[in-house]
Amino acid sequence: MKSPTTTSIIICFFLITSCYERLDFDQLDNFVSKPIFTFSLNYFSLVPYQFFTASGDQQIEISDIFDVKDLQNVYFLDDVVKLDFNAEIKNEFDREVSIVVEFFNKNNDVLYTFTPLVVESKVLDYIFLDEIKIASNPDILDTSKVKITITLAETGIPLNINDTSEVEFKSSVTLYIESRF
Amino acid sequence: MKKFLFFLLILFFYKVTAQNKQVLYDFVELPQTLLLNPGAETSYQFHFGLPLLSGLSAEFASSGVVLTDVFSLDHKDINDKISKVLNNLTTRDFIKLNLQIDIFNGGFRIHDSYVSFGLYEEIDVIGYYPKDLITILNEGNTAYLNRSFRISQLTYKADVIGVLHAGISKKINEKLTAGARFKIYSSALNTESSMNTGTFTTVLGTNNIYRHYLSNVNINTKSSGLFNIDDELIDDPATYLKNTFFGDNIGVGVDFGLTYHITPQFEFSGSILDFGFIKHKKNIKNGTLIGSFISEGSNFQYDPDNPENFWNELGNNLGEQLPVKENKESYISWRPTKLNAALKYSFGEKRTEICYDDRYKDFYTDALGIQLYSIFRPLRPQLALTAFYQKSITNKIHTKVTYTIDDFSYANIGAGFSAQFGKVNLYGMLDNILEYTNLSSANSVSFQLGINVIFN
Repeated sequence: MKSPTTTSIIICFFLITSCYERLDFDQLDNFVSKPIFTFSLNYFSLVPYQFFTASGDQQIEISDIFDVKDLQNVYFLDDVVKLDFNAEIKNEFDREVSIVVEFFNKNNDVLYTFTPLVVESKVLDYIFLDEIKIASNPDILDTSKVKITITLAETGIPLNINDTSEVEFKSSVTLYIESRF
Repeated sequence: MKKFLFFLLILFFYKVTAQNKQVLYDFVELPQTLLLNPGAETSYQFHFGLPLLSGLSAEFASSGVVLTDVFSLDHKDINDKISKVLNNLTTRDFIKLNLQIDIFNGGFRIHDSYVSFGLYEEIDVIGYYPKDLITILNEGNTAYLNRSFRISQLTYKADVIGVLHAGISKKINEKLTAGARFKIYSSALNTESSMNTGTFTTVLGTNNIYRHYLSNVNINTKSSGLFNIDDELIDDPATYLKNTFFGDNIGVGVDFGLTYHITPQFEFSGSILDFGFIKHKKNIKNGTLIGSFISEGSNFQYDPDNPENFWNELGNNLGEQLPVKENKESYISWRPTKLNAALKYSFGEKRTEICYDDRYKDFYTDALGIQLYSIFRPLRPQLALTAFYQKSITNKIHTKVTYTIDDFSYANIGAGFSAQFGKVNLYGMLDNILEYTNLSSANSVSFQLGINVIFN
């Protein structure tokens, strides 16, 4: 290290011998992010008086509809590959209860229907799971409203309007997403 | 394009930093050392740097992950490799990029004082790895019941600035040289987010199967120079370049430094750099997300008179309790202040060189010492400890070798030289030279080089 040449050679050595391992950035084409999200959906709790009209007549069936008009605007919707609908039902009524869940598009065409959930009297831990693969049911993503109908079994004995027993319904959805760069 | 987006994703999580130039620090033969310590001792009469060539420095650093971890041609599944990388990264890991180029610089001596000035452009970006956000985006919440994902980990900052500076270094007495530098910052682009709070948690619910919490959310993002008055992204590089020369987003800052000889051979030096701020008032676009939100889903009322809209209800509640707001309020961004401190012991052959005032100045051919570098960041200050050895091979050839412990490595070896050919001074410095055998697996690489004309 007695001459400028030596110093220059050392610096040049690092510059010349510096190298890099070959990289393959195209591997990113094969990367798939697969998050799984679970969200609560609807829940309700019914007591007998809700099956009676204002005039006091008992109904066998009640239903409600909720809109999901903006579902198509959810940005990751195109990447959803599977949906798991989960439901937990408690039936304290003295009769069997069946719950039908139907999915409609904006033209009110039925896109999908769960197998009716039939919950026998006093069953408090009914669990339901429906796995929907989008590849087999692509139309479900066009859902714009969902109708839930609760039907009481015919027993011949009217409900006690003052009874405090409940039908409790809880639900959630699990979204399986596969997104690529 | 996909690769570009991937890197943009990485760059998104950035925050402003600056480069630790441990090889250049106290390299008193070079005028550029005055930018690291305005109180450095200099012996030349005047200098000027070749426009655009007097100082070029660059640093890219990534703690926790290197390019080969993901893109190596090892025939392993890319999904497994990315998953492994994401699992190994911690919230202390970050990536930074720093580029600095001298447009011009010069200096001249007035008696015992040396006045230096210049203009440089700087791009500074740093982003911390928001592990929880990445985890939930990549894996979802299903497997993480009861885990609180911290949104607060979102921290980044990016700056493109021009810095006009002028400083003076004055020899107070035989022992002490002190200096200061005044800087005017012109910001072409700033975007940052820090000091955020908030968590997202999914737990078993009471009324429904699950309950989701967005708790104590306070997210703020700030940007200036990125969007024009019509909220359109500015994509013209010339606009950014123009705004680095006295644009509308101006700031000021100061550097202070000193060199003190405890004995003729033993000296202490230190500096505080970029103690300043920039006031951003043009092309501002800020965003806030403040509030808390709890949801167990939608409660069916079975009221035929009031049909329900699940998404509208959810969206309205979310919008009311956790509103996204935008504003164009001016704001201040603080420059990342840096501290340098060094102890140096000179020894070896005693030589003499002619000083600016025609006196003769003694110097030693060898020196050993330690340096401490610290930069203030929102999450925590970052430190680097350097041991160095300096060797003057001739009066015109000076070298320095450093060993640095920092966030990236416990074996960071750097080297630099300064060579004077007549009045022309050429210098070059490399950091982390052991990594040059495979740059693809380097956590950190940096260099500085330039050409000056120096008159003794």
